[in-house]
Amino acid sequence: MSGNSNMKFLYAGIAIALLLAVLAPFLASPDPDGLESAASHVVEKSKLSDMEENKPAVNAPMADYSIKGLGKGGEVAAIAVGTLAVLAISFGFGIIFKKKA
Amino acid sequence: MHIPDSFIPLDQAIIYWVIALPFIIMSMKWAKKELDEMKIPILAALAAGIFAIQAMNIPIGMGTSGHMVGAVLVAIIFGSPWAGVLVLTLVLLVQGFAFADGGITTMGANILNMGVVSGFVGYYTYSFLRRNLSTNIAAFGGAWLGLFISAIVCAIEMWLAGTFPLRAGLIAMGTYHLIIGFIGEGLLTSIAITAIAKSRPDLLEDSFTTRPDKSKKEVHA
Repeated sequence: MSGNSNMKFLYAGIAIALLLAVLAPFLASPDPDGLESAASHVVEKSKLSDMEENKPAVNAPMADYSIKGLGKGGEVAAIAVGTLAVLAISFGFGIIFKKKA
Repeated sequence: MHIPDSFIPLDQAIIYWVIALPFIIMSMKWAKKELDEMKIPILAALAAGIFAIQAMNIPIGMGTSGHMVGAVLVAIIFGSPWAGVLVLTLVLLVQGFAFADGGITTMGANILNMGVVSGFVGYYTYSFLRRNLSTNIAAFGGAWLGLFISAIVCAIEMWLAGTFPLRAGLIAMGTYHLIIGFIGEGLLTSIAITAIAKSRPDLLEDSFTTRPDKSKKEVHA
Protein backbone atom coordinates (compact mmCIF):
# COMPACT_ATOMS: atom_id res chain seq x y z
CA MET A 1 0.00 0.00 0.00
CA SER A 2 1.47 3.29 -1.04
CA GLY A 3 1.38 6.40 1.08
CA ASN A 4 0.03 8.42 -1.80
CA SER A 5 -3.05 6.28 -2.31
CA ASN A 6 -3.66 6.27 1.44
CA MET A 7 -3.72 10.05 1.38
CA LYS A 8 -6.29 9.80 -1.43
CA PHE A 9 -8.34 7.52 0.82
CA LEU A 10 -8.07 10.16 3.56
CA TYR A 11 -9.27 12.96 1.26
CA ALA A 12 -12.15 10.81 0.01
CA GLY A 13 -13.07 10.02 3.62
CA ILE A 14 -13.03 13.70 4.61
CA ALA A 15 -15.12 14.62 1.56
CA ILE A 16 -17.74 11.95 2.33
CA ALA A 17 -17.82 12.91 6.02
CA LEU A 18 -18.28 16.62 5.29
CA LEU A 19 -20.97 15.84 2.72
CA LEU A 20 -22.78 13.83 5.41
CA ALA A 21 -22.36 16.77 7.82
CA VAL A 22 -24.12 19.05 5.35
CA LEU A 23 -26.89 16.58 4.52
CA ALA A 24 -27.60 15.02 7.93
CA PRO A 25 -29.45 18.01 9.48
CA PHE A 26 -31.86 17.93 6.52
CA LEU A 27 -32.08 14.22 5.73
CA ALA A 28 -31.57 12.42 9.03
CA SER A 29 -34.71 11.03 10.62
CA PRO A 30 -35.85 13.05 13.68
CA ASP A 31 -37.46 9.90 15.13
CA PRO A 32 -35.97 8.56 18.39
CA ASP A 33 -33.29 5.91 17.96
CA GLY A 34 -33.80 2.25 18.84
CA LEU A 35 -32.81 2.64 22.49
CA GLU A 36 -34.91 5.79 23.11
CA SER A 37 -37.83 4.31 21.25
CA ALA A 38 -37.61 1.10 23.28
CA ALA A 39 -37.47 3.21 26.47
CA SER A 40 -40.64 5.09 25.53
CA HIS A 41 -42.47 1.78 25.09
CA VAL A 42 -41.21 -0.32 27.99
CA VAL A 43 -40.47 2.23 30.74
CA GLU A 44 -43.34 3.58 32.88
CA LYS A 45 -44.29 7.15 31.99
CA SER A 46 -43.48 8.62 35.43
CA LYS A 47 -40.05 6.98 35.52
CA LEU A 48 -39.36 8.03 31.94
CA SER A 49 -40.01 11.70 32.70
CA ASP A 50 -37.72 11.45 35.75
CA MET A 51 -34.99 10.02 33.53
CA GLU A 52 -35.49 12.75 30.95
CA GLU A 53 -35.23 15.43 33.63
CA ASN A 54 -31.85 14.15 34.71
CA LYS A 55 -29.21 16.32 33.12
CA PRO A 56 -26.16 14.69 31.55
CA ALA A 57 -23.18 14.37 33.90
CA VAL A 58 -21.19 16.87 31.85
CA ASN A 59 -22.57 19.87 29.97
CA ALA A 60 -21.68 19.43 26.34
CA PRO A 61 -21.05 22.60 24.33
CA MET A 62 -23.02 21.42 21.28
CA ALA A 63 -25.67 19.15 22.81
CA ASP A 64 -27.71 17.22 20.26
CA TYR A 65 -25.46 18.35 17.41
CA SER A 66 -26.75 21.89 17.45
CA ILE A 67 -25.45 25.35 18.26
CA LYS A 68 -27.88 27.58 20.12
CA GLY A 69 -29.67 30.07 17.89
CA LEU A 70 -28.08 28.93 14.64
CA GLY A 71 -30.76 26.51 13.41
CA LYS A 72 -29.92 24.11 10.60
CA GLY A 73 -26.70 25.97 9.75
CA GLY A 74 -25.60 25.44 13.32
CA GLU A 75 -26.30 21.74 13.03
CA VAL A 76 -24.20 21.50 9.86
CA ALA A 77 -21.43 23.41 11.62
CA ALA A 78 -21.66 21.22 14.74
CA ILE A 79 -21.34 17.96 12.79
CA ALA A 80 -18.55 19.42 10.64
CA VAL A 81 -16.65 20.58 13.74
CA GLY A 82 -17.13 17.14 15.32
CA THR A 83 -15.92 15.43 12.15
CA LEU A 84 -12.77 17.54 12.03
CA ALA A 85 -12.21 17.02 15.77
CA VAL A 86 -12.43 13.24 15.37
CA LEU A 87 -10.09 13.47 12.38
CA ALA A 88 -7.54 15.52 14.31
CA ILE A 89 -7.73 13.35 17.42
CA SER A 90 -7.36 10.12 15.41
CA PHE A 91 -4.40 11.55 13.53
CA GLY A 92 -2.81 12.74 16.76
CA PHE A 93 -3.45 9.40 18.40
CA GLY A 94 -1.96 7.61 15.40
CA ILE A 95 1.21 9.69 15.47
CA ILE A 96 1.72 9.13 19.20
CA PHE A 97 0.77 5.45 19.31
CA LYS A 98 2.01 4.19 15.94
CA LYS A 99 4.43 1.34 15.84
CA LYS A 100 8.01 2.47 16.18
CA ALA A 101 10.01 1.88 13.04
CA MET B 1 -27.79 2.96 20.83
CA HIS B 2 -25.90 5.63 22.80
CA ILE B 3 -26.86 5.14 26.45
CA PRO B 4 -27.41 8.47 28.28
CA ASP B 5 -26.18 8.97 31.87
CA SER B 6 -29.67 8.61 33.33
CA PHE B 7 -30.19 5.06 32.01
CA ILE B 8 -27.60 3.31 34.23
CA PRO B 9 -27.00 3.94 37.96
CA LEU B 10 -23.53 5.28 38.68
CA ASP B 11 -22.20 2.18 40.47
CA GLN B 12 -23.08 -0.06 37.55
CA ALA B 13 -21.81 2.50 35.03
CA ILE B 14 -18.43 2.41 36.80
CA ILE B 15 -18.36 -1.39 36.53
CA TYR B 16 -18.82 -1.12 32.75
CA TRP B 17 -15.97 1.39 32.62
CA VAL B 18 -13.78 -1.07 34.54
CA ILE B 19 -14.67 -3.86 32.10
CA ALA B 20 -14.16 -1.58 29.09
CA LEU B 21 -10.76 -0.29 30.19
CA PRO B 22 -8.70 -3.42 29.40
CA PHE B 23 -10.29 -3.51 25.94
CA ILE B 24 -9.37 0.14 25.38
CA ILE B 25 -5.79 -0.56 26.53
CA MET B 26 -5.60 -3.61 24.25
CA SER B 27 -6.76 -1.49 21.33
CA MET B 28 -3.92 0.95 22.06
CA LYS B 29 -1.51 -1.97 22.17
CA TRP B 30 -2.85 -3.05 18.80
CA ALA B 31 -2.00 0.42 17.48
CA LYS B 32 1.55 0.20 18.83
CA LYS B 33 2.00 -3.17 17.16
CA GLU B 34 0.14 -2.74 13.86
CA LEU B 35 -0.44 0.92 13.09
CA ASP B 36 2.36 2.22 10.89
CA GLU B 37 2.66 5.70 9.45
CA MET B 38 1.03 4.62 6.17
CA LYS B 39 -2.12 3.39 7.90
CA ILE B 40 -2.76 6.50 10.03
CA PRO B 41 -4.62 8.33 7.21
CA ILE B 42 -6.87 5.27 6.74
CA LEU B 43 -7.65 5.17 10.47
CA ALA B 44 -8.35 8.91 10.63
CA ALA B 45 -10.56 8.83 7.51
CA LEU B 46 -12.61 5.96 8.90
CA ALA B 47 -13.01 7.62 12.30
CA ALA B 48 -14.16 10.90 10.73
CA GLY B 49 -16.51 9.11 8.33
CA ILE B 50 -18.02 7.04 11.12
CA PHE B 51 -18.58 10.08 13.31
CA ALA B 52 -20.43 11.79 10.45
CA ILE B 53 -22.49 8.78 9.40
CA GLN B 54 -23.62 8.30 13.01
CA ALA B 55 -25.41 11.66 12.67
CA MET B 56 -27.39 10.28 9.73
CA ASN B 57 -30.33 8.51 11.34
CA ILE B 58 -32.28 6.32 8.96
CA PRO B 59 -36.04 5.88 9.55
CA ILE B 60 -37.00 2.25 10.07
CA GLY B 61 -40.76 2.71 10.63
CA MET B 62 -42.59 2.32 13.97
CA GLY B 63 -41.60 5.91 14.79
CA THR B 64 -38.01 4.82 15.21
CA SER B 65 -34.68 5.50 13.55
CA GLY B 66 -31.17 4.14 13.72
CA HIS B 67 -27.72 4.69 12.33
CA MET B 68 -24.61 2.79 11.38
CA VAL B 69 -22.11 2.05 14.19
CA GLY B 70 -19.11 1.15 12.03
CA ALA B 71 -16.93 -1.02 14.27
CA VAL B 72 -17.25 -4.01 11.92
CA LEU B 73 -16.27 -1.95 8.87
CA VAL B 74 -13.10 -0.74 10.62
CA ALA B 75 -12.31 -4.25 11.90
CA ILE B 76 -12.62 -5.75 8.40
CA ILE B 77 -10.43 -3.10 6.79
CA PHE B 78 -7.70 -3.42 9.43
CA GLY B 79 -8.13 -7.17 9.83
CA SER B 80 -8.58 -6.81 13.57
CA PRO B 81 -11.52 -6.12 15.89
CA TRP B 82 -9.15 -4.06 18.08
CA ALA B 83 -9.12 -1.41 15.37
CA GLY B 84 -12.91 -1.19 15.69
CA VAL B 85 -12.67 -0.80 19.47
CA LEU B 86 -10.09 1.96 19.02
CA VAL B 87 -12.07 3.96 16.45
CA LEU B 88 -15.36 3.65 18.37
CA THR B 89 -13.61 4.76 21.58
CA LEU B 90 -12.30 7.91 19.86
CA VAL B 91 -15.69 8.63 18.24
CA LEU B 92 -17.63 8.05 21.49
CA LEU B 93 -15.26 10.34 23.41
CA VAL B 94 -15.99 13.25 21.06
CA GLN B 95 -19.72 12.45 20.91
CA GLY B 96 -20.02 12.28 24.69
CA PHE B 97 -17.99 15.32 25.66
CA ALA B 98 -18.88 17.69 22.83
CA PHE B 99 -22.38 16.62 21.81
CA ALA B 100 -24.01 14.87 24.81
CA ASP B 101 -24.60 11.88 22.50
CA GLY B 102 -24.16 9.07 24.99
CA GLY B 103 -23.32 9.84 28.63
CA ILE B 104 -19.90 10.24 30.21
CA THR B 105 -20.62 7.85 33.08
CA THR B 106 -22.14 5.39 30.60
CA MET B 107 -19.35 5.75 28.03
CA GLY B 108 -17.75 2.53 29.28
CA ALA B 109 -20.97 0.65 28.52
CA ASN B 110 -21.25 2.34 25.13
CA ILE B 111 -17.66 1.43 24.25
CA LEU B 112 -18.36 -2.16 25.32
CA ASN B 113 -21.58 -2.43 23.31
CA MET B 114 -20.69 -0.60 20.13
CA GLY B 115 -16.92 -1.08 20.03
CA VAL B 116 -16.27 -4.44 21.65
CA VAL B 117 -19.45 -6.53 21.23
CA SER B 118 -20.49 -5.31 17.78
CA GLY B 119 -16.87 -5.26 16.56
CA PHE B 120 -15.85 -8.71 17.82
CA VAL B 121 -19.11 -10.51 16.96
CA GLY B 122 -19.24 -8.80 13.57
CA TYR B 123 -15.61 -9.36 12.65
CA TYR B 124 -15.46 -13.04 13.59
CA THR B 125 -18.83 -13.70 11.94
CA TYR B 126 -17.41 -12.01 8.82
CA SER B 127 -14.23 -14.13 8.99
CA PHE B 128 -16.29 -17.30 9.31
CA LEU B 129 -18.67 -16.42 6.46
CA ARG B 130 -15.80 -15.26 4.27
CA ARG B 131 -14.56 -18.84 3.89
CA ASN B 132 -17.51 -19.78 1.70
CA LEU B 133 -19.11 -16.52 0.70
CA SER B 134 -18.13 -13.38 -1.17
CA THR B 135 -16.64 -10.47 0.77
CA ASN B 136 -19.71 -8.25 0.47
CA ILE B 137 -22.15 -10.90 1.69
CA ALA B 138 -19.85 -11.89 4.55
CA ALA B 139 -19.51 -8.20 5.49
CA PHE B 140 -23.29 -7.80 5.42
CA GLY B 141 -23.85 -10.84 7.65
CA GLY B 142 -21.14 -9.91 10.11
CA ALA B 143 -22.24 -6.30 10.45
CA TRP B 144 -25.89 -7.25 10.84
CA LEU B 145 -25.28 -9.86 13.53
CA GLY B 146 -22.74 -7.65 15.33
CA LEU B 147 -25.24 -4.83 15.71
CA PHE B 148 -28.08 -7.14 16.68
CA ILE B 149 -26.08 -8.89 19.42
CA SER B 150 -24.85 -5.57 20.79
CA ALA B 151 -28.48 -4.41 21.06
CA ILE B 152 -29.36 -7.60 22.96
CA VAL B 153 -26.44 -6.99 25.33
CA CYS B 154 -27.63 -3.39 25.74
CA ALA B 155 -31.15 -4.61 26.61
CA ILE B 156 -29.68 -6.91 29.29
CA GLU B 157 -27.65 -4.01 30.72
CA MET B 158 -30.86 -1.94 30.81
CA TRP B 159 -32.55 -4.75 32.72
CA LEU B 160 -29.64 -5.04 35.20
CA ALA B 161 -29.85 -1.27 35.64
CA GLY B 162 -33.52 -1.57 36.58
CA THR B 163 -34.38 0.67 33.64
CA PHE B 164 -36.07 -1.83 31.27
CA PRO B 165 -38.10 -4.93 32.09
CA LEU B 166 -36.23 -7.96 30.70
CA ARG B 167 -38.68 -9.49 28.25
CA ALA B 168 -40.26 -6.32 26.85
CA GLY B 169 -36.83 -4.67 26.67
CA LEU B 170 -35.33 -7.59 24.75
CA ILE B 171 -38.26 -7.69 22.33
CA ALA B 172 -38.22 -3.92 21.66
CA MET B 173 -34.43 -3.61 21.38
CA GLY B 174 -34.19 -6.83 19.35
CA THR B 175 -36.93 -5.85 16.89
CA TYR B 176 -35.65 -2.34 16.23
CA HIS B 177 -32.03 -3.40 15.88
CA LEU B 178 -32.81 -6.35 13.66
CA ILE B 179 -34.03 -3.73 11.18
CA ILE B 180 -31.38 -1.10 11.95
CA GLY B 181 -28.75 -3.83 11.65
CA PHE B 182 -30.08 -4.91 8.25
CA ILE B 183 -30.14 -1.45 6.65
CA GLY B 184 -27.98 0.83 8.77
CA GLU B 185 -25.19 -1.63 9.52
CA GLY B 186 -25.35 -4.60 7.12
CA LEU B 187 -26.11 -2.84 3.85
CA LEU B 188 -23.93 0.20 4.50
CA THR B 189 -20.95 -1.91 5.63
CA SER B 190 -21.38 -4.11 2.56
CA ILE B 191 -21.57 -1.10 0.23
CA ALA B 192 -18.47 0.46 1.81
CA ILE B 193 -16.53 -2.82 1.59
CA THR B 194 -17.58 -3.30 -2.04
CA ALA B 195 -16.44 0.24 -2.90
CA ILE B 196 -13.12 -0.32 -1.15
CA ALA B 197 -12.66 -3.73 -2.82
CA LYS B 198 -13.00 -1.96 -6.19
CA SER B 199 -10.88 1.12 -5.50
CA ARG B 200 -8.35 -0.24 -2.98
CA PRO B 201 -8.33 -4.05 -3.12
CA ASP B 202 -4.92 -4.02 -1.41
CA LEU B 203 -6.50 -2.73 1.82
CA LEU B 204 -8.67 -5.84 2.09
CA GLU B 205 -6.05 -8.32 0.90
CA ASP B 206 -3.73 -6.92 3.48
CA SER B 207 -6.09 -7.83 6.28
CA PHE B 208 -6.06 -11.44 5.14
CA THR B 209 -2.35 -11.83 4.67
CA THR B 210 -1.48 -10.29 8.02
CA ARG B 211 -4.31 -12.04 9.87
CA PRO B 212 -4.87 -15.29 8.00
CA ASP B 213 -7.48 -16.99 10.15
CA LYS B 214 -8.34 -15.88 13.60
CA SER B 215 -11.95 -16.97 13.47
CA LYS B 216 -11.22 -19.96 15.68
CA LYS B 217 -10.54 -17.62 18.51
CA GLU B 218 -13.78 -17.47 20.42
CA VAL B 219 -16.01 -14.46 20.36
CA HIS B 220 -15.85 -13.17 23.87
CA ALA B 221 -17.53 -10.23 25.57
